[in-house]
Amino acid sequence: MPQILPNFLSSVKLKYVKLGYQYLVNHILTFFLIPIMVGILVEILRLGPEEMLNIWRSLHFDLVQVLCSSFLIIFIATVYFMSKPRSIYLVEYACYKPPITCRVPFSTFMEHSRLILKENPKSVDFQMRILERSGLGEETCLPPAIHYIPPTPTMEAARGEAEQVIFSAIGSLMEKTKIKPKDIDILIVNCSLFSPTPSLSAMVVNKYKLRSNIKSYNLSGMGCSAGLISIDLARDLLQVHPNSYALVVSTEIITPNYYQGSERAMLLPNCLFRMGGAAILLSNKRRDRRRAKYRLVHVVRTHKGADDKAYKCVYEQEDPQGKVGINLSKDLMVIAGEALKSNITTIGPLVLPASEQLLFLFTLIGRKIFNPKWKPYIPDFKQAFEHFCIHAGGRAVIDELQKNLQLSAEHVEASRMTLHRFGNTSSSSLWYELGYIEAKGRMKKGDRIWQIAFGSGFKCNSAVWKCNRTVRTPTDGPWQDCIDRYPVHIPEIVKL
Amino acid sequence: MVSSMAEGLIYDIKLSSVGPGTVTEPDMVHEPSDMDLAMKLHYLKVIYYFGKQAFEGLTTLKIKEPLFMVLNYFPVICGRFRRAESGRPYIKCNDCGVRFIEAKCEKTMDEWLEMTKENASLEKYLTPNQIIGPELGFSPTVLLQYTKFKCGGMSVGLSWAHVLGDAFSAAEFLNQLGKVVAGEKPNRPINLAHLKTKSTNSGSPLTNMEDPLSVKRVGPVGDNWMTVNNCKMEAFSFSVNATQLSHLQSKISSNGTDFSPFEALSAVIWQCIAKIRRESEPKVVTICKGMEQNKADGNNQLISVVKAAYPIVEANPGDLAVLMKNAALDQREKIENAIEKDNGVSDFIVYGANLTFTNLEEAKLYEFDYRGEKPSYVSYRVDGVGDEGAVLVLPGPPKNGGRTVMAILPENEVTELKSELKTEWFMI
Repeated sequence: MPQILPNFLSSVKLKYVKLGYQYLVNHILTFFLIPIMVGILVEILRLGPEEMLNIWRSLHFDLVQVLCSSFLIIFIATVYFMSKPRSIYLVEYACYKPPITCRVPFSTFMEHSRLILKENPKSVDFQMRILERSGLGEETCLPPAIHYIPPTPTMEAARGEAEQVIFSAIGSLMEKTKIKPKDIDILIVNCSLFSPTPSLSAMVVNKYKLRSNIKSYNLSGMGCSAGLISIDLARDLLQVHPNSYALVVSTEIITPNYYQGSERAMLLPNCLFRMGGAAILLSNKRRDRRRAKYRLVHVVRTHKGADDKAYKCVYEQEDPQGKVGINLSKDLMVIAGEALKSNITTIGPLVLPASEQLLFLFTLIGRKIFNPKWKPYIPDFKQAFEHFCIHAGGRAVIDELQKNLQLSAEHVEASRMTLHRFGNTSSSSLWYELGYIEAKGRMKKGDRIWQIAFGSGFKCNSAVWKCNRTVRTPTDGPWQDCIDRYPVHIPEIVKL
Repeated sequence: MVSSMAEGLIYDIKLSSVGPGTVTEPDMVHEPSDMDLAMKLHYLKVIYYFGKQAFEGLTTLKIKEPLFMVLNYFPVICGRFRRAESGRPYIKCNDCGVRFIEAKCEKTMDEWLEMTKENASLEKYLTPNQIIGPELGFSPTVLLQYTKFKCGGMSVGLSWAHVLGDAFSAAEFLNQLGKVVAGEKPNRPINLAHLKTKSTNSGSPLTNMEDPLSVKRVGPVGDNWMTVNNCKMEAFSFSVNATQLSHLQSKISSNGTDFSPFEALSAVIWQCIAKIRRESEPKVVTICKGMEQNKADGNNQLISVVKAAYPIVEANPGDLAVLMKNAALDQREKIENAIEKDNGVSDFIVYGANLTFTNLEEAKLYEFDYRGEKPSYVSYRVDGVGDEGAVLVLPGPPKNGGRTVMAILPENEVTELKSELKTEWFMI
């Protein structure tokens, strides 16, 4: 009995100490300001009104001085407001919901695999083991061309998939925002592995008859983190172009990239990547301040490509039979961890409250000067953010991040459930996760969201958003018909 | 995948799968009954021939869409077989789906029907021919083949494992598909499967009973569910129009007893085959009939045997018909006991164990309505028939009001039967 009590007491004491410390450091300015204000007030009261007037007259202000000082103040204020970066608002976004005809249950995937890879039973068993542990559900979707035995990835089928996904997402976005195609000033489309001529952004311009002076960009080859790269690009463009709308479309077209060989390291993407896409409307117009859902606070990009191992860890190449596929190296998780560390080192000072930064600084100094054996202090990001959207790259990625950032199951719920329902939809998965949080009714005004994505290269990109107005549970969207079934418990291994 | 068969007659073949649109709950299983397992080596093959209008302008995706919706109501046919610890097969409803095959034919539908009149075996190219096995867990039980003809007509070929149900169940599936295409909801409950129950291993006190007459023990075939024949079986069909039918019925009837078209046709064919087989004439025949009352899925046919005490060749067809009408012995319980003896592990055949006559007159084959079009002709046969052969009496095209007869017999008997029917009974 006495053993347990001291532990309990000490842990409670520690908790309160921690809370007290945080409160003190985060509001330190207030703590300094209050005594000063009180002091001045007491002094004024002590002096009395006549003394105050005397002090005021003794300052000898003359007209020129007054004019100059006010001019200076106005000048400084103007410079400050002019050089402040424009606020970028996320007005609305829409995610693509694949039709039921594209659904691929585990059993169908395995049966097709067995038929296609008749001569490589080991590869088939490998795929089965991956699928069992993948964290995917039975409702993920693949495009129609991949349903064939063997798949028929023609250019026409790829274009068909692109049109279906992109136009569906944009159509639903336009319906939600009531925006006209002619109002769009900037268009950015990112799709990593499918890059036809004319580009996908040209396809969008053609379909919606966008203006001839539109600023359109097409980002290809940038991997799963391209979604946040597009947001970063849109932000920079919206700084230069006042009063504009930017339409960002993030997707990944599966049809041309289904690996048809039997190398194990290259079969992994087949098991995880699924159909999906999202369209996002960003604006820097003043009037969208009211109706926008989110405001973009920070975008931090980290590129580890300078390191050879990081560069080669997700590598598209031909297998010994000449079939093209994406090779995932075995140290992918380690490299992802490094990239994440790099990213949070940059983003930490921008978002963490002062208490956490101070602790981190102290431990850093301590490790460098006193004792290198001290455990590095991992700042508590839960104090900086209410919601986390971790790219649903795979179960391992989410597990790794949950461990590294010490997040609870509820924080990573959006990521896990998106992986279960939609699979790895590459750059658009962050938007499905955000949609999940909104559909669950958890998004309140003032909430801060952290979106983290990893991609080939090796890149780790983050975006920080602040919720502008409480989001009412949407009545449409990809989660609308299944949100009541979630969260589901995802077993370690699904028995096929 | 582009491949072709029969020297390019059927080409541009593409395989895919279609499953239910919504997720079936996990761990749902369907346990076939004893009767179902008795039929597991047989496969129903039905071909529906549609004119141009039925499928005009439809892309493959549009054809697949209603299938996704109707399969929500048929979780059992989307599942795959597994074996329980006792060895008894059961179906795991894992949404794997039916196999969907697209093909093209270089002939027009009329040309094709002409060709098959002479050579009925060509029809096997319009239905998928995959059996269940060698891997039970990866073999689809239902396969669909949509073949487009040069003239724009389409044939829908269904391969239906008999273990799932009889012809009435198979027809029900496609009729419900027709309903979904028309925009109606199928009038079926969604989930007919159930969670696996602990299978009671009934230690059998019936080990000493003999196998019933209507079935033949074969194999063991293991996980390759197909019948091995000692001779090559050939199928041929002929139609009997309404006038010929009434003629036949009146010719045979005696003492004022009227016979149904099935009884009349069966009696006549029984005698013809007896004539052909001479010494080894079939004294025992099996009769399968659908049960009007039982509309459930599965094998609900009434299987009975008829034993003739006298030589068939000299008998009066009218007497044979009377035998079939009155002296049929219900074999169902005996069959179920035979299966139960070793808990469904042994392999049996029903069709072809004896010369089998199947009455499918009431099967709703012509009710499959696709976008307001009914099939112009339906061809039906059974694969995996044993050496004694089988004769199926099917409904004819509604306009003619007669019957279609499909006979599956050893190939050396076919020509003789054809000439016998032509000369003696003026039927072909």
